[in-house]
Amino acid sequence: MKKEPRNEWSGKSRGGATGYLIFVFIIKRAGLRAAYALLSFVALYFIPFAPRATASVWRYSRKILGKGRAASVLFVYRNYLNLGISLIDKTAVSAGLGDRFLFEFDEPANVSSILSGNSGAVIIGAHFGNWEVGAPYFGKYGKRMRVVMMDAEFQSIKKVLEEQKQLDAFSPIPIKDDSFSHIFEIRDALERGEYVAMQGDRLTPNGKSAEVEFMGKRALFPLGPFVLAARFGYPVIFYFAVRSGLRKYRFHFSLYEPAKRQGTVRPETDILNSYTAYLEKTVKDSPGQWYNFYKFWL
Amino acid sequence: MIDAALIDKINNVLAEEFEVDIQKISPEAPLMDTLDLDSLDLVDMVVLIEHNFGFTVVAKDFVGIKSFNDFYHFINSRIDEKGAKE
Repeated sequence: MKKEPRNEWSGKSRGGATGYLIFVFIIKRAGLRAAYALLSFVALYFIPFAPRATASVWRYSRKILGKGRAASVLFVYRNYLNLGISLIDKTAVSAGLGDRFLFEFDEPANVSSILSGNSGAVIIGAHFGNWEVGAPYFGKYGKRMRVVMMDAEFQSIKKVLEEQKQLDAFSPIPIKDDSFSHIFEIRDALERGEYVAMQGDRLTPNGKSAEVEFMGKRALFPLGPFVLAARFGYPVIFYFAVRSGLRKYRFHFSLYEPAKRQGTVRPETDILNSYTAYLEKTVKDSPGQWYNFYKFWL
Repeated sequence: MIDAALIDKINNVLAEEFEVDIQKISPEAPLMDTLDLDSLDLVDMVVLIEHNFGFTVVAKDFVGIKSFNDFYHFINSRIDEKGAKE
């Protein structure tokens, strides 16, 4: 366990409310195809004008995926394109256009059983695929989804959520630098039988992290989500939504089950190891939907 | 007046959980610094209180707790409240 040694993420994701709202306007007025067409140009713009992000995707393509230079140029463009498509799709779904999408579920019986019960659950996702596109799906179980996120990130999307009348449905739990209130909010939500969703792959400023072998190289993962999941004693579900075609998503779920021979491994480390193993397996199937645009690997 | 047995129990529980030399714990010592607590350790603190002393804590309970003495008084008062209700 170590203090954050080199977290390059500021706690706020790139992209402002204005950009989102332009796409919302286009989706509503001109349709999804028009939004995708505009995106093909916007994705090009990001290659030179988001140099740090471009460098991180380039490193990911070259050093982690082992692609050549020419293939990596294409990969960088497709990575931005994929991100844009996921943003457009989640915006379309939240605007009530979910019927234009096909959703497939890879949901084991033990996960269905947990989600159908009265217990709260910790849901750990990643900046991979498009987890938000599946958020409304959890509503079918009649429970609220609470999403834990950095306050700076929440403030940047708050205007969009208000505009889309999604603020209540989204129900965030903001993490503020000067307060521990989110810990109690998380516990109280779980006690009420709600789902608490966290991202398990993004370091927070000044947060504790653990070094893990991931995709063949060492990387730092945040400990916070895994400590919370381990201590509060609620079921832990790993969840990723992966785009499998145009307007087609597959939801992957896996229920964490403690290792039978834990030995000296701390519970949070065991959850983290299970999470990274499942994440790695899913990312390897769809490497172009990995969206951590900073120096992720050590 | 806080029972010495309760203070011993609190000190032992904290020293064991946060792996701190019990000799460093004194009533006037700063709680957060002595135990080297951060926000994740606070999760452990919340669970530890609930398991060992049988009551639920909320965020505002921690406001104003600076020293171990403050912490003893907080635990003691909540145990008394719990006893009075039962």
